[in-house]
Amino acid sequence: MIFLFNLFYQFGDALSFLLLAAIGLAVIFGMMKIINLAHGEFITIGAYGTVVSAKILNLPLPLAMMTGVLVTVIFGYVLERIIIRHLYGRPLDSVVATWGISLIVSQSFLVLFGPSFEGLKTPLSNFQLGEYSYSQYRLLLIFISILILVLLYVFFLKSNFGTLARATIENPKIAATLGVKVDKVYMVTFCIGSALAGLTGAIYAPTMTIVPSIGQAFIVSAFVTVVTAGASPFIGLIPAASFLSLIQTSVTFYYHATIGILALLFSVILIIRFLPNGFSGLLIKLKK
Amino acid sequence: MLKKNNIFIILVFTTLLLIPLLFDIYYVNNISYFILWTFISLGLALIWGMGGILSFGQTAFFGLAGYSFAIISINFADTFAVGIWAPIIALLITAIFGAIVGYFLFYGGIYDVFIGIVTLAITLVLETFMAQTAGPEWAIGNARLNGFNGMQGMPPIGIKISDSKFYLSGTGQYYFMVFLAMFLLWILYKIKKSNFGLILLASKEDRMRVESLGHNVKKIQMITFSLSALLAGISGILYTNWGGYITPSSMGLVAASMPVIWVAASGKNDFFSVFLGCILLVYISQTLAINGAQYAIILMGFILVITTRYFPDGIIFMLKKYLVNKSSFKNKL
Repeated sequence: MIFLFNLFYQFGDALSFLLLAAIGLAVIFGMMKIINLAHGEFITIGAYGTVVSAKILNLPLPLAMMTGVLVTVIFGYVLERIIIRHLYGRPLDSVVATWGISLIVSQSFLVLFGPSFEGLKTPLSNFQLGEYSYSQYRLLLIFISILILVLLYVFFLKSNFGTLARATIENPKIAATLGVKVDKVYMVTFCIGSALAGLTGAIYAPTMTIVPSIGQAFIVSAFVTVVTAGASPFIGLIPAASFLSLIQTSVTFYYHATIGILALLFSVILIIRFLPNGFSGLLIKLKK
Repeated sequence: MLKKNNIFIILVFTTLLLIPLLFDIYYVNNISYFILWTFISLGLALIWGMGGILSFGQTAFFGLAGYSFAIISINFADTFAVGIWAPIIALLITAIFGAIVGYFLFYGGIYDVFIGIVTLAITLVLETFMAQTAGPEWAIGNARLNGFNGMQGMPPIGIKISDSKFYLSGTGQYYFMVFLAMFLLWILYKIKKSNFGLILLASKEDRMRVESLGHNVKKIQMITFSLSALLAGISGILYTNWGGYITPSSMGLVAASMPVIWVAASGKNDFFSVFLGCILLVYISQTLAINGAQYAIILMGFILVITTRYFPDGIIFMLKKYLVNKSSFKNKL
């Protein structure tokens, strides 16, 4: 029983990490076909926003997290207006430009805040089960990550904006002739993606040491999850993240954390080789 | 116009060849360091500029070649013949690895931004893997991999003629790099003019159409990818030989972004601009890095963002065009 719970905990922890790391990237990629290479730095901004407002302004943690998200959204908004919107329709250029942004942000954080920043205490307490100790907060994260995904799914499926956004991905030109302000839809979508990345940073801020390269811990997981999820990340995200975390957890369980990461990458390469459209492509094919 | 362009190229190379006569060995070694990075950039220009395939993981091949060279060279240090075989075997390993990765990418139907992500993931995983090889169990023969600190103390590239040994260092290394660059630039121009190059250029515009004309685009892309891996490998080996060390961070995220910046800022469609721009940009970032590497990286980030936003053809390429032919430049504006 304890063994099973331990496995569930490890699996859920890896799953929520992959889901939360990928979700902001998935929204921006799924809706706009732009890979935001600065995604990791958006997470960094969310984390720093949270920690700085909690430490220096002495805000309570939930408020500090909201500040972190808000700062990230403002940053995303400004960036979209100044640079990203000029690169729609040039996907490779937008990747390159966001990479430049990622370098600027991470190195500026290094200059501004130094190589490391005192972190926060993980909220909630630990509990003991057998010989292992578990963090309640991390357990909570598993449910939070799934809740966010469900809310997002409902939002893009049921809300008015969701309909406009889906019309825009389907065919931007026709959507525009029907009076959809495509430019605005893209802007809002980018801001939602930024907010989700900031939220990931804010949520993980109390569990990690805050360093300027904190975003890099998320970025590879985020990319591999979105890539294996395929062309429609909303459908593919959960199966992709579950499959990858299953592989990572089981390999890490038997061997070593680094071997777990290697197994993760290797399985991604195999998945892409044999399922070029990712898990969403497979699901759509099965449905037909 | 073509002739003027050639005069410009000849002028640049004459200057490069004269440098060892005018400056002392310290500067010559420094400029060797700038030139060694041009090969990885030329490789990226080949696959990105000509093939339209953006690889973020050229540093994976850079590191693989550097590490392979170090491992072979340390293991066979006693037999001097290794001085010339070690780099060649390391390059072969790199080209084969490049071909395997290329096979998975192109025959797997991976395109556009996904290629960038997969190649980036490969280089980051290699970095993570090499960084954890600190323990004594991580050794290949006599060569300890040394984890995060990287490998050092490998014998340099060298050649033995009768009883005298020649090592690749100092002015000799400098001339070797300049001549190699000239040779490779010539080869790349030949590729660009060949049937192979034309099919590659066409596949960048419309892959499906070229395929339906009966060309094996996947094979051509795979070969090009392997060639670009080979060029990145040349940089990796020369880097290892130049400094006598190779570290995992040479495959990290910041290192991986550098070739992309150099090539994008120089002008990815023109090999010579990439060659010249790469030297200038490495020089600028090295000069700035004296005050702290982070400032140099921030500037490189700004250069990348500004070129992609305002000068998609590259700054150096536009400057070269301006210098070579002022009137046609004005007409275009």
